[in-house]
Amino acid sequence: MIGVATPRASVASSTWKLLWLRVRIWTSVLRHATVRRKIGTLVVAALVVGFLAAAFAGSWALLSFLRSPELAQIVDLTQLLEALPTVILTGAFLTILVTSFGVLLQSLYLARDMDFLMAAPIPVRAVFISKLIQAILPNFALLCLFGLPVLFGLGASAGYHALFYPLVILLLACMTFAAAGLSAVLVMGVVRLVPARRVAEALAAVGAVASLICSQSGNFTRTMTFNAQQTTQMMDLLSRVNAPWSPFAWAGRGLIGLGTGQGATAALGLGLTLVLAVAIFAVTLRACEVLYHTGWSQMQAGTPRRPHVRPHDAPRAAAARRPAFPRLLPRAVTALIIKDARVLRRDLRNLSQLMTPLILGIVYAAMLARSGGQVDPGRGEAPEWFMQGAGQMMAYGNIGIALFIGWIMLSRLGMMAFSHEGRAYWLIKTAPVTPVRLMLAKALTAYLPTLVIGELFLLVASLLQRAGSSVMLFGIAVVALALAGGVGVNLAFGVAGANLEWEDPRHMVRGSVGCIGSFAGMAYVALAAAFFLGPAMLVPLLGGSAGLGQAIGVVVGGVFALVCALLPPYLMLGRVRRIGEVG
Amino acid sequence: MTDILIETLDLAKRFGDKVAVDRVNLQVRAGEIFGFLGPNGAGKTTTIKMIVGLLQPTSGAVRVAGHNVQTEPLAAKAASGFVPDEPNLYTKLSARELLRFVAELYDVPRAAVERRIEELLRLFDLTAAADDLIDSYSHGMRQKASLAAALVHDPRVLVLDEPTVGLDPKSARLIKDLLRQLAQRGAAVFLSTHILEIAERMCDRIGIINRGGLVAMGTMAELRAMGQGQASLEDIFLSLTGGAEDAAIAEVLQ
Repeated sequence: MIGVATPRASVASSTWKLLWLRVRIWTSVLRHATVRRKIGTLVVAALVVGFLAAAFAGSWALLSFLRSPELAQIVDLTQLLEALPTVILTGAFLTILVTSFGVLLQSLYLARDMDFLMAAPIPVRAVFISKLIQAILPNFALLCLFGLPVLFGLGASAGYHALFYPLVILLLACMTFAAAGLSAVLVMGVVRLVPARRVAEALAAVGAVASLICSQSGNFTRTMTFNAQQTTQMMDLLSRVNAPWSPFAWAGRGLIGLGTGQGATAALGLGLTLVLAVAIFAVTLRACEVLYHTGWSQMQAGTPRRPHVRPHDAPRAAAARRPAFPRLLPRAVTALIIKDARVLRRDLRNLSQLMTPLILGIVYAAMLARSGGQVDPGRGEAPEWFMQGAGQMMAYGNIGIALFIGWIMLSRLGMMAFSHEGRAYWLIKTAPVTPVRLMLAKALTAYLPTLVIGELFLLVASLLQRAGSSVMLFGIAVVALALAGGVGVNLAFGVAGANLEWEDPRHMVRGSVGCIGSFAGMAYVALAAAFFLGPAMLVPLLGGSAGLGQAIGVVVGGVFALVCALLPPYLMLGRVRRIGEVG
Repeated sequence: MTDILIETLDLAKRFGDKVAVDRVNLQVRAGEIFGFLGPNGAGKTTTIKMIVGLLQPTSGAVRVAGHNVQTEPLAAKAASGFVPDEPNLYTKLSARELLRFVAELYDVPRAAVERRIEELLRLFDLTAAADDLIDSYSHGMRQKASLAAALVHDPRVLVLDEPTVGLDPKSARLIKDLLRQLAQRGAAVFLSTHILEIAERMCDRIGIINRGGLVAMGTMAELRAMGQGQASLEDIFLSLTGGAEDAAIAEVLQ
């Protein structure tokens, strides 16, 4: 009989051990990394330090200028400057609150070491805290990277007390912990209701769509101009955020109080913030005891809901479901296309990436509709040839945008065509399928939906622009040919950078190849647009007919596109045989 | 037509400086179950991956059903079925969709596909879950789906890497009976396992690999003769590959 000492691990020591383990793993990875990677890490570290120093110096100089008596005679910015810590700390809190949900879900429930940690004699609080810290550390580091130089610049420009600087870091950490704690409670609550994996998939889709909508909404607001009334409204909002009753303002006002030597304001603001942050975190820890372990256990023991696909309905039904084109293609090619379509459609994480071009298409179509497809003559001083050229560009603009949308789709469907097989690739590799057929299947899987979306966008945009039928027909041919070339380029890089070991779809293609492939895809689109649209725009300017220009464009661009469609995949056929092999 | 369905000729695989498989020569005939044993890291899975065409050998050759896997991969692959140690499948397909997909890849006659799928689903007790996504399957169900996929085209050569891991006793028994029936019908079964009882009871011949090299091969009787009086496969295996010493065990248990 082996005598085993019962461990009496405290939360603090267990948390420390778990965090120290992460540090050791990180240093071990770095120690065993290639020289190139080590140098890369050092370069990145040097760049980060350089950025911090530059941002601090820039902030210091700018804030000193904003405080200058000369500027104060023109506009008084005291209110704005005093609200700066509140704005940054509030932003940090809200950013962590929103962005932590996904990373905490992954870290608290879906990490691979959870079985080991939950089975070990470690307090569940320690597991929770260490996972929480690991999850929020990257976001916290980003906040520090952008927030600290500004806040330190504020302190330096106003000559604040030395205590200001460490307290800035302490408060930033406290607010980060409080926000992450609230986010963790939300995660634990949601996971009690919906399986963690399903939540992660849905979150990836919602996150991608939301971030795209946010980024594209800038296209509409960019044209807006702020008037005096709106500026006043913004200043009012700022003052409300920095109001003494707002918990968000306590930390900021406390820091300003500390800096300006107002002891009572500083003590009250900073004290209240610290008490509130500690209280929130204590509540989170209490909730974790109730929710975390039971939620995790439920996830392990509970029978997962079985997502049901359309039930089997006799071979006749299966035959009826087959698309119209299978007879034209070898069976293996058709099977691969159908399989890919099903897998892509059913995985929300993939779907989110494919939603991007759709949203872009809608946004740009709306912008085109708003502009009416006409060139703004301005004050009418532009020369005739310039206006004619601009008109031509406007007429072919929708083709360019259709190619851009296609490029985004192909960078997912083409470049990741092999990688998205993941660890199930052995099924294809051990099957009697030639590399040519495999490449053809992957090319069609990427090409067909991209073609449909690209042409659909083109038709809608052309109708909105009231484009002529010749331009529309020219556009249809250009999009069809140019996208075929794009498939070839993206597929070739997808083969070169195929990664079958991914967990997160964002890591499907190996870093450097993915990066070069994106640039190559972009360069291809630019060149294809030049070859197709260049003659179509130049020939009329030189006195030729539009039809002649379009015909030359289709021939020149078509040759270029077909070469790109066939040559890169052909060159990569040998590599297809080696996909998934190490050594 | 030859009755040697699997043949490796001086098969070797290197990963950088490390020799994973070192000039392995073996033959498996039609109707034979061949057990492939070896300690962890001995080169079993690497050998298997070369047999099914997942890895290119550094040197040597593999012939499956008379076809060289490197020069005639399509013919060799069409004749074989493979069950890996980890049942990594397309989790967003149902078992029925997976089997249909594999049947199309292997060009199984259209008229036979649905009937074959139904038979396999019934055989592996997957009919009730046939239209559920594999995402929701347990490890054992995935393993059974993987086995069904390997059998959908009725292969002449079946290669299995640890097929009984994660299976309940009923399913493990089903696999054993199935492999025996397949062999009786003339298929060659190449099976790697750590469960020596399975190898001893099921396999017609056994090969033992250690540190990349084949250290013994033969029937149980032949291995016993080589084992200098040792009666069980476990003793023979440990004497050939090196087992834990008594002192080391005692030290751990102190």
